[in-house]
Amino acid sequence: MKTTNLTARQRKAYLFRLICAAISWMGIGLLAILIFHVTSKGISWLDWQFLTGFPSRFPERAGIKSALVGTIWFISMTACFSIPLGTAAAIYLEEYSRKGPLGYLIEVNIANLAGVPSIVYGLLGLVIFVRGMELGRSLLAGSLTMTLLILPIIIIAAREAIRAVPNSIRLAAFALGATRWQMLRFHVLPQALPGILTGVILALSRAIGETAPLIMIGALTYVAFVPEGPLDAFTVLPIQIFNWASRPQEDFHHIAATGIIVLLAVLFFMNIIAVSIRHHAEKKGKV
Amino acid sequence: MSKQTQSLLTLLEAVGVTIYYSDKPAVQEISISVPEHHITAIIGPSGCGKSTLLRAFNRMNDFIPEARMEGQILYKGNQLYAPGVDPVDVRRRIGMVFQKPNPFPKSVFNNVAWGPSINRYEGNLNERVELSLRKAALWDEVKDRLNDSAMTLSGGQQQRLCIARALAMEPEVILMDEPCSALDPVSTARIEDLMFELKKTYTIVIVTHNMQQAARVSRFTAFMEGGMLVEFGATKQLFTRPVNKRTEDYVSGRFG
Repeated sequence: MKTTNLTARQRKAYLFRLICAAISWMGIGLLAILIFHVTSKGISWLDWQFLTGFPSRFPERAGIKSALVGTIWFISMTACFSIPLGTAAAIYLEEYSRKGPLGYLIEVNIANLAGVPSIVYGLLGLVIFVRGMELGRSLLAGSLTMTLLILPIIIIAAREAIRAVPNSIRLAAFALGATRWQMLRFHVLPQALPGILTGVILALSRAIGETAPLIMIGALTYVAFVPEGPLDAFTVLPIQIFNWASRPQEDFHHIAATGIIVLLAVLFFMNIIAVSIRHHAEKKGKV
Repeated sequence: MSKQTQSLLTLLEAVGVTIYYSDKPAVQEISISVPEHHITAIIGPSGCGKSTLLRAFNRMNDFIPEARMEGQILYKGNQLYAPGVDPVDVRRRIGMVFQKPNPFPKSVFNNVAWGPSINRYEGNLNERVELSLRKAALWDEVKDRLNDSAMTLSGGQQQRLCIARALAMEPEVILMDEPCSALDPVSTARIEDLMFELKKTYTIVIVTHNMQQAARVSRFTAFMEGGMLVEFGATKQLFTRPVNKRTEDYVSGRFG
Protein backbone atom coordinates (compact mmCIF):
# COMPACT_ATOMS: atom_id res chain seq x y z
CA MET A 1 0.00 0.00 0.00
CA LYS A 2 1.34 3.37 -0.97
CA THR A 3 0.37 5.89 1.65
CA THR A 4 2.98 8.56 1.33
CA ASN A 5 3.20 9.64 -2.35
CA LEU A 6 6.10 11.70 -1.15
CA THR A 7 7.35 12.89 -4.52
CA ALA A 8 4.00 14.42 -5.48
CA ARG A 9 3.78 16.23 -2.15
CA GLN A 10 7.34 17.46 -2.43
CA ARG A 11 6.63 18.71 -5.94
CA LYS A 12 3.62 20.67 -4.65
CA ALA A 13 5.68 22.20 -1.88
CA TYR A 14 8.32 23.22 -4.39
CA LEU A 15 5.71 24.67 -6.73
CA PHE A 16 4.22 26.81 -3.96
CA ARG A 17 7.64 28.13 -3.09
CA LEU A 18 8.24 28.96 -6.73
CA ILE A 19 4.98 30.91 -6.99
CA CYS A 20 5.76 32.94 -3.87
CA ALA A 21 9.24 33.74 -5.13
CA ALA A 22 7.91 34.76 -8.55
CA ILE A 23 5.37 37.15 -7.03
CA SER A 24 7.96 38.71 -4.73
CA TRP A 25 10.41 39.27 -7.56
CA MET A 26 7.67 40.70 -9.77
CA GLY A 27 7.00 43.42 -7.17
CA ILE A 28 10.66 44.19 -6.77
CA GLY A 29 11.15 44.16 -10.54
CA LEU A 30 8.34 46.64 -11.18
CA LEU A 31 9.76 48.96 -8.53
CA ALA A 32 13.20 48.70 -10.09
CA ILE A 33 11.81 49.57 -13.53
CA LEU A 34 10.01 52.59 -12.08
CA ILE A 35 13.11 53.84 -10.30
CA PHE A 36 15.26 53.27 -13.38
CA HIS A 37 12.77 55.09 -15.62
CA VAL A 38 12.47 58.07 -13.29
CA THR A 39 16.19 58.27 -12.70
CA SER A 40 17.15 58.10 -16.34
CA LYS A 41 14.63 60.79 -17.14
CA GLY A 42 15.34 63.20 -14.33
CA ILE A 43 18.86 62.71 -13.01
CA SER A 44 20.46 65.11 -15.44
CA TRP A 45 18.35 67.99 -14.11
CA LEU A 46 19.32 67.30 -10.50
CA ASP A 47 21.76 69.97 -9.40
CA TRP A 48 22.22 72.54 -6.67
CA GLN A 49 20.29 75.10 -8.64
CA PHE A 50 17.31 72.74 -8.74
CA LEU A 51 17.37 72.14 -5.00
CA THR A 52 17.74 75.79 -4.05
CA GLY A 53 15.66 77.48 -6.74
CA PHE A 54 12.03 78.49 -6.69
CA PRO A 55 9.51 77.44 -9.34
CA SER A 56 9.82 79.27 -12.62
CA ARG A 57 8.21 79.51 -16.02
CA PHE A 58 11.55 78.56 -17.52
CA PRO A 59 12.49 74.93 -16.98
CA GLU A 60 16.21 75.60 -16.69
CA ARG A 61 15.57 78.03 -13.81
CA ALA A 62 12.87 76.02 -12.06
CA GLY A 63 13.69 74.70 -8.60
CA ILE A 64 12.07 72.75 -5.85
CA LYS A 65 13.15 74.64 -2.73
CA SER A 66 9.72 75.84 -1.65
CA ALA A 67 8.14 72.41 -2.10
CA LEU A 68 11.02 70.63 -0.35
CA VAL A 69 10.97 72.95 2.65
CA GLY A 70 7.16 72.84 2.62
CA THR A 71 7.21 69.04 2.73
CA ILE A 72 9.67 69.02 5.63
CA TRP A 73 7.54 71.49 7.58
CA PHE A 74 4.39 69.66 6.67
CA ILE A 75 5.56 66.15 7.55
CA SER A 76 7.16 67.30 10.82
CA MET A 77 3.96 68.98 11.92
CA THR A 78 1.84 66.02 10.87
CA ALA A 79 4.13 63.70 12.86
CA CYS A 80 3.88 65.96 15.91
CA PHE A 81 0.09 65.80 15.82
CA SER A 82 -0.54 62.25 14.70
CA ILE A 83 2.02 60.20 16.67
CA PRO A 84 0.96 61.28 20.18
CA LEU A 85 -2.74 61.29 19.29
CA GLY A 86 -2.67 57.91 17.57
CA THR A 87 -0.57 56.20 20.22
CA ALA A 88 -2.63 57.63 23.07
CA ALA A 89 -5.86 56.52 21.41
CA ALA A 90 -4.46 53.03 20.88
CA ILE A 91 -3.30 52.77 24.50
CA TYR A 92 -6.67 53.91 25.74
CA LEU A 93 -8.61 51.52 23.54
CA GLU A 94 -6.39 48.53 24.37
CA GLU A 95 -5.51 49.04 28.02
CA TYR A 96 -8.16 51.22 29.62
CA SER A 97 -11.53 51.04 27.88
CA ARG A 98 -13.83 48.17 28.68
CA LYS A 99 -14.28 45.63 25.94
CA GLY A 100 -17.91 45.66 24.91
CA PRO A 101 -20.29 46.50 22.07
CA LEU A 102 -19.16 50.14 22.12
CA GLY A 103 -15.52 49.14 21.82
CA TYR A 104 -16.36 46.86 18.93
CA LEU A 105 -18.26 49.67 17.21
CA ILE A 106 -15.26 51.97 17.60
CA GLU A 107 -12.92 49.30 16.26
CA VAL A 108 -15.02 48.71 13.15
CA ASN A 109 -15.34 52.45 12.56
CA ILE A 110 -11.61 53.06 12.82
CA ALA A 111 -10.98 50.26 10.32
CA ASN A 112 -13.54 51.89 8.00
CA LEU A 113 -11.97 55.32 8.38
CA ALA A 114 -8.66 53.87 7.22
CA GLY A 115 -10.37 53.06 3.92
CA VAL A 116 -12.15 56.37 3.30
CA PRO A 117 -10.84 58.09 0.12
CA SER A 118 -8.38 60.84 0.93
CA ILE A 119 -10.35 63.45 -1.02
CA VAL A 120 -13.12 63.11 1.57
CA TYR A 121 -10.65 64.06 4.28
CA GLY A 122 -9.71 67.03 2.13
CA LEU A 123 -13.33 68.18 2.11
CA LEU A 124 -13.54 67.67 5.86
CA GLY A 125 -10.36 69.68 6.38
CA LEU A 126 -11.68 72.43 4.11
CA VAL A 127 -14.88 72.74 6.12
CA ILE A 128 -13.43 72.40 9.61
CA PHE A 129 -9.90 73.78 9.55
CA VAL A 130 -9.74 76.15 6.58
CA ARG A 131 -13.16 77.73 6.96
CA GLY A 132 -14.56 76.73 10.38
CA MET A 133 -11.45 77.47 12.40
CA GLU A 134 -10.36 80.10 9.89
CA LEU A 135 -6.84 78.72 9.58
CA GLY A 136 -6.84 79.50 5.88
CA ARG A 137 -4.69 77.66 3.36
CA SER A 138 -1.98 77.23 5.97
CA LEU A 139 0.50 74.55 6.92
CA LEU A 140 -1.47 74.10 10.13
CA ALA A 141 -4.72 73.38 8.29
CA GLY A 142 -2.91 71.01 5.93
CA SER A 143 -1.14 69.03 8.61
CA LEU A 144 -4.26 68.76 10.75
CA THR A 145 -6.16 67.41 7.75
CA MET A 146 -3.39 64.91 7.05
CA THR A 147 -3.39 63.92 10.73
CA LEU A 148 -7.05 62.94 10.41
CA LEU A 149 -6.21 60.92 7.34
CA ILE A 150 -3.40 58.87 8.88
CA LEU A 151 -4.69 58.57 12.46
CA PRO A 152 -6.62 55.35 11.73
CA ILE A 153 -3.49 53.73 10.27
CA ILE A 154 -1.41 54.63 13.33
CA ILE A 155 -4.14 53.60 15.76
CA ILE A 156 -4.65 50.21 14.12
CA ALA A 157 -0.92 49.44 13.96
CA ALA A 158 -0.30 50.62 17.52
CA ARG A 159 -3.24 48.58 18.85
CA GLU A 160 -1.90 45.47 17.15
CA ALA A 161 1.55 46.09 18.61
CA ILE A 162 0.16 46.63 22.13
CA ARG A 163 -2.06 43.57 21.83
CA ALA A 164 0.94 41.44 20.83
CA VAL A 165 2.60 41.98 24.23
CA PRO A 166 1.82 38.81 26.19
CA ASN A 167 -0.68 39.23 28.98
CA SER A 168 1.57 37.33 31.39
CA ILE A 169 3.87 40.37 31.38
CA ARG A 170 1.02 42.61 32.48
CA LEU A 171 0.03 40.23 35.26
CA ALA A 172 3.65 39.87 36.41
CA ALA A 173 3.93 43.66 36.70
CA PHE A 174 0.62 44.01 38.51
CA ALA A 175 1.56 41.23 40.95
CA LEU A 176 4.59 43.31 41.95
CA GLY A 177 2.37 46.17 42.99
CA ALA A 178 2.74 48.22 39.82
CA THR A 179 0.10 50.71 38.83
CA ARG A 180 -1.34 50.46 35.35
CA TRP A 181 0.80 53.37 34.20
CA GLN A 182 4.00 51.81 35.58
CA MET A 183 3.13 48.53 33.89
CA LEU A 184 2.59 50.34 30.56
CA ARG A 185 5.55 52.67 30.86
CA PHE A 186 8.15 50.03 31.74
CA HIS A 187 6.93 46.89 30.01
CA VAL A 188 4.13 47.13 27.49
CA LEU A 189 5.15 50.32 25.69
CA PRO A 190 8.86 49.44 25.31
CA GLN A 191 7.89 46.06 23.93
CA ALA A 192 5.25 47.53 21.63
CA LEU A 193 7.45 50.41 20.43
CA PRO A 194 8.98 48.65 17.38
CA GLY A 195 5.51 47.72 16.15
CA ILE A 196 4.16 51.20 16.80
CA LEU A 197 7.08 52.70 14.86
CA THR A 198 6.37 50.42 11.92
CA GLY A 199 2.85 51.83 11.81
CA VAL A 200 4.18 55.36 12.06
CA ILE A 201 6.59 54.74 9.17
CA LEU A 202 3.77 53.43 6.97
CA ALA A 203 1.46 56.29 7.91
CA LEU A 204 4.00 59.07 7.37
CA SER A 205 5.14 57.49 4.10
CA ARG A 206 1.56 57.71 2.96
CA ALA A 207 1.21 61.30 4.19
CA ILE A 208 4.30 62.47 2.33
CA GLY A 209 2.89 61.28 -0.99
CA GLU A 210 -0.72 62.39 -0.58
CA THR A 211 -1.82 65.10 -2.98
CA ALA A 212 -5.59 65.13 -3.31
CA PRO A 213 -6.61 66.36 0.17
CA LEU A 214 -4.03 69.12 0.05
CA ILE A 215 -5.26 70.35 -3.32
CA MET A 216 -8.75 70.26 -1.82
CA ILE A 217 -7.84 72.50 1.09
CA GLY A 218 -6.04 74.83 -1.27
CA ALA A 219 -2.35 74.25 -0.89
CA LEU A 220 -0.81 76.39 -3.59
CA THR A 221 0.72 75.09 -6.77
CA TYR A 222 3.01 78.02 -7.36
CA VAL A 223 4.91 79.16 -4.26
CA ALA A 224 7.88 81.44 -4.67
CA PHE A 225 8.71 81.66 -0.96
CA VAL A 226 9.62 79.37 1.91
CA PRO A 227 7.09 79.00 4.74
CA GLU A 228 8.36 80.50 7.98
CA GLY A 229 5.62 79.52 10.39
CA PRO A 230 2.66 77.17 10.78
CA LEU A 231 0.20 79.73 9.51
CA ASP A 232 2.00 80.38 6.20
CA ALA A 233 0.75 79.15 2.87
CA PHE A 234 2.73 76.24 1.46
CA THR A 235 3.18 73.63 -1.21
CA VAL A 236 4.55 70.11 -1.02
CA LEU A 237 6.57 67.89 -3.33
CA PRO A 238 3.75 65.80 -4.84
CA ILE A 239 1.75 68.93 -5.71
CA GLN A 240 4.78 70.50 -7.35
CA ILE A 241 5.45 67.27 -9.25
CA PHE A 242 1.84 67.09 -10.36
CA ASN A 243 2.02 70.69 -11.50
CA TRP A 244 5.13 70.11 -13.61
CA ALA A 245 3.91 66.84 -15.03
CA SER A 246 0.70 68.43 -16.26
CA ARG A 247 2.49 71.10 -18.28
CA PRO A 248 2.80 70.62 -22.04
CA GLN A 249 6.56 71.31 -22.34
CA GLU A 250 8.74 68.22 -22.52
CA ASP A 251 11.40 69.74 -20.22
CA PHE A 252 8.95 70.09 -17.38
CA HIS A 253 8.24 66.36 -17.58
CA HIS A 254 11.94 65.79 -16.95
CA ILE A 255 11.82 68.20 -14.02
CA ALA A 256 8.85 66.29 -12.64
CA ALA A 257 10.99 63.15 -12.70
CA THR A 258 13.74 65.04 -10.88
CA GLY A 259 11.14 66.05 -8.29
CA ILE A 260 10.19 62.40 -7.85
CA ILE A 261 13.84 61.56 -7.19
CA VAL A 262 13.93 64.20 -4.47
CA LEU A 263 10.65 62.92 -2.99
CA LEU A 264 11.95 59.35 -2.93
CA ALA A 265 15.17 60.53 -1.32
CA VAL A 266 13.26 62.34 1.42
CA LEU A 267 11.11 59.27 1.98
CA PHE A 268 14.15 57.02 2.08
CA PHE A 269 15.94 59.30 4.54
CA MET A 270 12.85 59.46 6.76
CA ASN A 271 12.49 55.69 6.82
CA ILE A 272 16.17 55.19 7.59
CA ILE A 273 15.74 57.35 10.68
CA ALA A 274 12.60 55.47 11.74
CA VAL A 275 14.15 52.05 11.15
CA SER A 276 17.23 52.96 13.15
CA ILE A 277 15.05 54.20 16.02
CA ARG A 278 13.13 50.95 15.84
CA HIS A 279 16.32 48.92 15.81
CA HIS A 280 17.57 50.83 18.83
CA ALA A 281 14.24 50.29 20.63
CA GLU A 282 14.31 46.57 19.91
CA LYS A 283 17.75 46.23 21.41
CA LYS A 284 17.00 48.44 24.39
CA GLY A 285 13.74 46.65 25.17
CA LYS A 286 15.62 43.47 26.02
CA VAL A 287 17.92 44.82 28.74
CA MET B 1 5.63 17.35 69.03
CA SER B 2 6.69 20.88 69.69
CA LYS B 3 6.05 21.79 66.09
CA GLN B 4 2.39 20.97 66.42
CA THR B 5 1.98 23.29 69.34
CA GLN B 6 3.73 26.27 67.78
CA SER B 7 1.41 29.20 67.35
CA LEU B 8 -1.02 29.08 64.45
CA LEU B 9 -1.65 32.73 63.85
CA THR B 10 -4.09 33.22 61.03
CA LEU B 11 -2.62 35.67 58.54
CA LEU B 12 -4.99 35.41 55.63
CA GLU B 13 -8.57 34.27 55.69
CA ALA B 14 -11.36 33.68 53.21
CA VAL B 15 -14.81 34.09 54.70
CA GLY B 16 -17.77 32.81 52.70
CA VAL B 17 -16.13 33.67 49.39
CA THR B 18 -18.20 33.20 46.25
CA ILE B 19 -16.78 34.28 42.89
CA TYR B 20 -18.88 34.55 39.75
CA TYR B 21 -17.67 34.71 36.16
CA SER B 22 -20.52 36.57 34.51
CA ASP B 23 -23.29 34.76 36.37
CA LYS B 24 -21.70 31.35 36.75
CA PRO B 25 -20.21 30.71 40.17
CA ALA B 26 -16.64 29.42 39.92
CA VAL B 27 -16.06 29.38 43.66
CA GLN B 28 -18.87 28.94 46.15
CA GLU B 29 -19.07 29.80 49.84
CA ILE B 30 -15.49 29.00 50.68
CA SER B 31 -14.00 29.72 54.07
CA ILE B 32 -10.41 28.79 54.85
CA SER B 33 -7.75 30.33 57.03
CA VAL B 34 -4.09 30.49 56.14
CA PRO B 35 -1.73 30.31 59.12
CA GLU B 36 1.41 32.41 59.27
CA HIS B 37 4.77 30.81 58.38
CA HIS B 38 3.25 27.65 56.99
CA ILE B 39 2.57 26.29 53.55
CA THR B 40 -1.07 25.85 52.74
CA ALA B 41 -1.96 23.86 49.64
CA ILE B 42 -5.13 24.05 47.57
CA ILE B 43 -5.70 20.91 45.52
CA GLY B 44 -8.46 19.68 43.27
CA PRO B 45 -9.19 18.65 39.69
CA SER B 46 -8.79 21.10 36.79
CA GLY B 47 -11.49 23.75 36.68
CA CYS B 48 -12.46 23.36 40.33
CA GLY B 49 -11.85 27.05 41.02
CA LYS B 50 -8.63 26.73 43.00
CA SER B 51 -6.70 29.29 40.93
CA THR B 52 -9.67 31.65 41.04
CA LEU B 53 -9.68 31.43 44.82
CA LEU B 54 -5.92 32.01 44.94
CA ARG B 55 -6.18 35.12 42.79
CA ALA B 56 -8.80 36.51 45.14
CA PHE B 57 -6.15 36.67 47.88
CA ASN B 58 -4.20 39.45 46.16
CA ARG B 59 -7.00 40.94 44.09
CA MET B 60 -5.71 39.64 40.77
CA ASN B 61 -9.29 38.84 39.83
CA ASP B 62 -9.80 42.59 39.49
CA PHE B 63 -8.33 42.24 35.99
CA ILE B 64 -11.05 39.86 34.88
CA PRO B 65 -13.88 42.25 34.02
CA GLU B 66 -16.65 39.66 34.30
CA ALA B 67 -15.49 38.38 37.71
CA ARG B 68 -17.51 39.40 40.76
CA MET B 69 -16.89 38.41 44.37
CA GLU B 70 -19.08 38.01 47.41
CA GLY B 71 -17.85 37.36 50.91
CA GLN B 72 -14.64 38.65 52.41
CA ILE B 73 -10.92 38.16 52.35
CA LEU B 74 -9.24 39.18 55.58
CA TYR B 75 -5.54 39.98 55.83
CA LYS B 76 -4.41 40.43 59.43
CA GLY B 77 -8.08 40.97 60.19
CA ASN B 78 -8.52 43.76 57.64
CA GLN B 79 -10.89 43.42 54.71
CA LEU B 80 -8.95 43.39 51.45
CA TYR B 81 -12.02 44.33 49.45
CA ALA B 82 -13.11 47.24 51.66
CA PRO B 83 -13.79 50.46 49.70
CA GLY B 84 -10.71 52.37 50.86
CA VAL B 85 -8.21 49.61 50.10
CA ASP B 86 -5.85 50.21 47.17
CA PRO B 87 -5.36 46.92 45.29
CA VAL B 88 -1.85 48.06 44.27
CA ASP B 89 -0.94 48.18 47.96
CA VAL B 90 -2.41 44.71 48.50
CA ARG B 91 -0.29 43.19 45.73
CA ARG B 92 2.78 44.86 47.14
CA ARG B 93 2.36 42.85 50.35
CA ILE B 94 1.00 39.65 48.87
CA GLY B 95 3.24 38.48 46.06
CA MET B 96 2.46 35.97 43.35
CA VAL B 97 4.27 33.37 41.27
CA PHE B 98 2.50 32.16 38.17
CA GLN B 99 2.02 28.83 36.48
CA LYS B 100 4.28 29.53 33.54
CA PRO B 101 7.54 31.32 34.30
CA ASN B 102 6.96 34.88 33.08
CA PRO B 103 10.16 36.87 33.52
CA PHE B 104 10.26 40.28 31.90
CA PRO B 105 12.29 40.25 28.67
CA LYS B 106 14.98 42.26 30.43
CA SER B 107 18.20 41.46 32.24
CA VAL B 108 18.28 39.17 35.27
CA PHE B 109 19.19 42.15 37.44
CA ASN B 110 16.39 44.35 36.15
CA ASN B 111 13.83 41.61 36.63
CA VAL B 112 14.52 41.55 40.35
CA ALA B 113 15.26 45.25 40.77
CA TRP B 114 12.13 46.54 39.06
CA GLY B 115 9.68 45.86 41.87
CA PRO B 116 11.69 47.70 44.55
CA SER B 117 12.59 50.52 42.16
CA ILE B 118 8.98 51.38 41.25
CA ASN B 119 8.13 51.34 44.93
CA ARG B 120 10.74 53.95 45.78
CA TYR B 121 13.12 51.61 47.53
CA GLU B 122 15.71 53.80 49.23
CA GLY B 123 18.33 51.23 50.23
CA ASN B 124 21.05 49.61 48.17
CA LEU B 125 19.41 48.05 45.15
CA ASN B 126 22.40 45.79 44.38
CA GLU B 127 22.22 44.27 47.85
CA ARG B 128 18.49 43.77 47.59
CA VAL B 129 18.87 41.98 44.26
CA GLU B 130 21.64 39.75 45.57
CA LEU B 131 19.72 38.91 48.74
CA SER B 132 16.56 38.07 46.79
CA LEU B 133 18.47 35.88 44.35
CA ARG B 134 20.19 34.11 47.25
CA LYS B 135 16.87 33.47 48.97
CA ALA B 136 15.55 32.02 45.73
CA ALA B 137 18.63 29.73 45.53
CA LEU B 138 19.58 31.23 42.19
CA TRP B 139 22.48 33.54 43.05
CA ASP B 140 25.29 31.08 42.40
CA GLU B 141 23.96 30.23 38.98
CA VAL B 142 23.40 33.80 37.77
CA LYS B 143 25.88 35.97 39.66
CA ASP B 144 28.16 36.19 36.61
CA ARG B 145 25.37 36.88 34.16
CA LEU B 146 23.25 39.49 35.91
CA ASN B 147 23.20 41.58 32.76
CA ASP B 148 22.16 38.75 30.47
CA SER B 149 18.57 38.58 29.34
CA ALA B 150 16.37 36.54 31.65
CA MET B 151 15.16 34.72 28.55
CA THR B 152 18.50 32.92 28.31
CA LEU B 153 17.86 31.08 31.61
CA SER B 154 16.37 27.58 31.71
CA GLY B 155 12.71 27.11 32.63
CA GLY B 156 13.48 26.14 36.22
CA GLN B 157 15.87 29.07 36.60
CA GLN B 158 13.26 31.41 35.15
CA GLN B 159 10.71 30.26 37.71
CA ARG B 160 13.19 30.78 40.55
CA LEU B 161 13.89 34.21 39.08
CA CYS B 162 10.16 34.93 39.28
CA ILE B 163 10.25 33.84 42.92
CA ALA B 164 13.25 36.11 43.53
CA ARG B 165 11.37 38.92 41.82
CA ALA B 166 8.45 38.43 44.20
CA LEU B 167 10.77 38.19 47.22
CA ALA B 168 12.46 41.47 46.33
CA MET B 169 9.23 43.21 47.31
CA GLU B 170 9.61 41.71 50.80
CA PRO B 171 6.05 40.48 50.86
CA GLU B 172 4.59 38.62 53.81
CA VAL B 173 2.65 36.16 51.72
CA ILE B 174 3.58 34.45 48.48
CA LEU B 175 0.82 32.94 46.38
CA MET B 176 1.99 30.22 43.99
CA ASP B 177 -0.27 29.13 41.16
CA GLU B 178 0.94 25.68 40.09
CA PRO B 179 4.54 26.93 40.08
CA CYS B 180 6.04 23.63 38.96
CA SER B 181 3.58 22.47 36.35
CA ALA B 182 5.79 23.66 33.49
CA LEU B 183 9.00 22.29 35.02
CA ASP B 184 10.90 18.99 34.95
CA PRO B 185 11.24 16.84 38.11
CA VAL B 186 14.69 18.16 39.00
CA SER B 187 13.61 21.78 38.83
CA THR B 188 10.45 20.87 40.71
CA ALA B 189 12.49 19.34 43.53
CA ARG B 190 14.61 22.48 43.72
CA ILE B 191 11.56 24.70 44.02
CA GLU B 192 10.08 22.45 46.70
CA ASP B 193 13.32 22.64 48.71
CA LEU B 194 13.18 26.37 48.27
CA MET B 195 9.64 26.51 49.62
CA PHE B 196 10.74 24.75 52.84
CA GLU B 197 13.40 27.38 53.25
CA LEU B 198 11.03 30.26 52.50
CA LYS B 199 8.29 29.29 54.89
CA LYS B 200 10.52 30.27 57.80
CA THR B 201 10.07 33.90 56.87
CA TYR B 202 7.09 33.88 54.56
CA THR B 203 3.61 32.47 54.43
CA ILE B 204 2.95 30.45 51.31
CA VAL B 205 -0.26 29.41 49.61
CA ILE B 206 0.26 26.98 46.75
CA VAL B 207 -2.23 25.77 44.21
CA THR B 208 -1.29 22.44 42.68
CA HIS B 209 -2.92 19.53 40.98
CA ASN B 210 0.01 17.37 41.90
CA MET B 211 -1.17 15.63 45.06
CA GLN B 212 2.26 14.27 45.94
CA GLN B 213 3.55 17.80 45.88
CA ALA B 214 0.83 18.98 48.25
CA ALA B 215 1.53 16.03 50.55
CA ARG B 216 5.28 16.74 50.48
CA VAL B 217 5.38 20.46 51.05
CA SER B 218 2.26 21.64 52.83
CA ARG B 219 1.18 21.69 56.43
CA PHE B 220 -2.48 22.32 55.60
CA THR B 221 -4.47 21.32 52.57
CA ALA B 222 -7.79 22.41 51.14
CA PHE B 223 -9.47 20.05 48.70
CA MET B 224 -11.86 21.68 46.25
CA GLU B 225 -14.20 20.20 43.73
CA GLY B 226 -16.68 21.92 41.42
CA GLY B 227 -16.12 25.28 43.09
CA MET B 228 -16.89 23.93 46.56
CA LEU B 229 -14.59 23.27 49.47
CA VAL B 230 -14.83 19.57 50.22
CA GLU B 231 -12.35 19.31 53.04
CA PHE B 232 -9.82 21.51 54.76
CA GLY B 233 -7.42 20.40 57.42
CA ALA B 234 -3.93 19.30 58.35
CA THR B 235 -2.26 17.76 55.31
CA LYS B 236 -1.26 14.63 57.16
CA GLN B 237 -4.80 13.92 58.21
CA LEU B 238 -6.34 14.82 54.88
CA PHE B 239 -4.10 12.38 53.05
CA THR B 240 -4.20 9.52 55.58
CA ARG B 241 -7.56 9.76 57.32
CA PRO B 242 -9.81 11.94 55.16
CA VAL B 243 -13.21 12.66 56.64
CA ASN B 244 -15.00 12.96 53.34
CA LYS B 245 -15.42 10.05 50.94
CA ARG B 246 -14.76 12.24 47.88
CA THR B 247 -11.50 13.44 49.37
CA GLU B 248 -10.48 9.87 49.91
CA ASP B 249 -11.30 8.97 46.32
CA TYR B 250 -9.29 11.92 45.01
CA VAL B 251 -6.18 11.57 47.15
CA SER B 252 -6.06 7.83 46.60
CA GLY B 253 -6.12 8.47 42.87
CA ARG B 254 -9.47 6.93 42.12
CA PHE B 255 -10.39 9.92 39.98
CA GLY B 256 -9.04 13.30 38.87
